[in-house]
Amino acid sequence: MLSMKNVSRIYRTDVVQTHALRNLSLEVEAGEFVALVGPSGSGKTTFLNIAGLLETFDDGSYQLDGRDVAGLNDNDRSRLRNEKIGFIFQSFNLIPELNIADNIDVPLRYRGFAARERKRRVDRVLEVVGLGGRKKHLPSQLSGGQQQRVAIARALAGDPGFLLADEPTGNLDSSTAAGVMELINEIHRNGATIIMVTHDLELAARAERIVRLSDGQVVLLDEGGEGSELENGAAV
Amino acid sequence: MEIGPILRAMTRNKIGAILIALQIAFTMTVVVNAYFMIEERMRLMERPSGVVEDQLFHISTRGFTPDFNGKVSVQDDLALLRQTPGIVDAVAINAIPLSGGGWSMSLQVEPGDGEQGHGVAIYMVDDHGLDTLGVELIAGRDFTPADVRERGPATSDWPDKAIISEATVKALWADANPLEVVGRTAYINDDEPVTIIGVVEKLQAPWNGWTTVEQSMLVPDKLIWTGVRYMVRTEPGRRDEMMPIVEELLARSNNQRIVRAPESMAETRARSYALDSGLAKILGVIMAMLVSITSLGIVGLASFSVRRRTKQIGIRRALGAKKRDILRYFLVENFMITTLGVVLGAVMTVGFNVWLVQALNFPKIDWLYVPIGMLALWLIGIIAVLGPARRATAVPPAVATRTV
Ligand SMILES: Nc1ncnc2c1ncn2[C@@H]1O[C@H](COP(=O)(O)OP(=O)(O)OP(=O)(O)O)[C@@H](O)[C@H]1O
Ligand SMILES: [Mg+2]
Repeated sequence: MLSMKNVSRIYRTDVVQTHALRNLSLEVEAGEFVALVGPSGSGKTTFLNIAGLLETFDDGSYQLDGRDVAGLNDNDRSRLRNEKIGFIFQSFNLIPELNIADNIDVPLRYRGFAARERKRRVDRVLEVVGLGGRKKHLPSQLSGGQQQRVAIARALAGDPGFLLADEPTGNLDSSTAAGVMELINEIHRNGATIIMVTHDLELAARAERIVRLSDGQVVLLDEGGEGSELENGAAV
Repeated sequence: MEIGPILRAMTRNKIGAILIALQIAFTMTVVVNAYFMIEERMRLMERPSGVVEDQLFHISTRGFTPDFNGKVSVQDDLALLRQTPGIVDAVAINAIPLSGGGWSMSLQVEPGDGEQGHGVAIYMVDDHGLDTLGVELIAGRDFTPADVRERGPATSDWPDKAIISEATVKALWADANPLEVVGRTAYINDDEPVTIIGVVEKLQAPWNGWTTVEQSMLVPDKLIWTGVRYMVRTEPGRRDEMMPIVEELLARSNNQRIVRAPESMAETRARSYALDSGLAKILGVIMAMLVSITSLGIVGLASFSVRRRTKQIGIRRALGAKKRDILRYFLVENFMITTLGVVLGAVMTVGFNVWLVQALNFPKIDWLYVPIGMLALWLIGIIAVLGPARRATAVPPAVATRTV
């Protein structure tokens, strides 16, 4: 599904160069659920942005679904994001001036679906996240957990197959977080490939594999599950 | 097209949009009406006077010695002018078209002081009048030397022949053909008969603001006053060159008088319409100012809306929006605001004009100006929003994950 070899990303400002990723190599199989952990500034979001085609990289190679993405132009990247990739963000990133249904509708319109098809999909994913009755609500009228469910619904509406989540529960209390996590697990069980950044080791433990980043490099690959090394390891 | 969501999103931030729409409507109202007024002025200013303006200038003289002989002086001057190379013809005349000063009399079809009269401007000329002015005779004949009498300061009666403008024919005899009125009699001063011996196509009265500015009459009176004005027709292209020559010539030929500076018909015309062209310029400046302020308003609102939605743009890009989708979003949003503005503007434009017509007796606006004005402001709206919208497309998708 995802294959990165020696990917580097350097942020240049007038005064400093930051090596956000250094020769990072990683393979993720289709249908896998990977948790990405690491200290702040270690490059997790950078990795996710590159994996999700939100940003380009400076060196190395990246194949998504067997396709080399280095040569894609802006339009192709937009189309791939739209059709193959779902994003879930820490701060939900709903569009505040659109109601719930219109928010979920956004990627579907860019996809060019007809109105009927869009409506069918919006209704379906809202059902999946359990917010069928809130279509006309504005994001500000929902709780954080509900907003994140809407964001997940929006990510799912296009049937992406590849889900990228950057601390999806970072802004939620633990019981709400558990609900959202349950949803993500279910999406995974339905066959999606998931890469999730988290600071919460308990949540990371629910993934099939934990990838640990430090200073822009993969330092430790670990099978997920109870009793893993990380579980007792140093604070992340 | 995502008209529905754009509209719903806009209704949640409507103040700015409504203000800009109102500004567009107001601008359209003023600009369209001002443009119409300018056009009206231009149309008035472009009316031909009927004389060959670019070959004509006029110059006046006044004798100041007690024994100054007007009759001899005019005779000598005209002989001198008419034989000067570069001059086609010259005539002593009592009034100058467009000059704002002249005589008018009332002409009527039947004699008697109860009959309806028609105001006409009077031009007193000799048998060189038509040739000098360059007016076109379309019926009848020109004056001959035998027709011409002398008119001194004491003369109070009128010659028995006249040439009138076609508009005067229409005023006197409604739909009569110029050819058939030749030989007819009209009455001046209530009961002095005047035979119409010719009709000229066009000769404006000296007052351009007069509603009957096209009504005029030439009479075969040769002026023999001590103060007299000559109209001089030069060969084409030599007017400016001849003006100082003639001034010099007249001054030298007789030192018992003063010769005033000559004025070309172009100057007379410019002076005549100075107020109109000044008003047109002021209106033009107001139009330009309003249009630029409104364009800046649109640019400002769009820039603000782009900046406020930087994060949202990033999110949309992350969700698959191509650059052109972002561009289109802002164009469509602006198009909707502008449309509201121009529709409102169309109503206000017509309403304002109706008020101008009723309260200030302005001419009624040509309805075509309204769609043209709408179109123009639509275009201005699109051009104004292009910059901010292009800046919006430059927002990178990573903004979705990078900003809070
Ligand atoms: N746009 C940018 N310009 C310059 N430096 C950047 C930029 N984005 C990220 N960085 C730097 O790149 C490095 C990696 O950042 P990144 O956001 O990937 O870290 P992270 O692992 O997601 O951290 P956190 O857990 O705090 O979210 C950091 O040192 C950061 O300061
Ligand atoms: Mg991060």
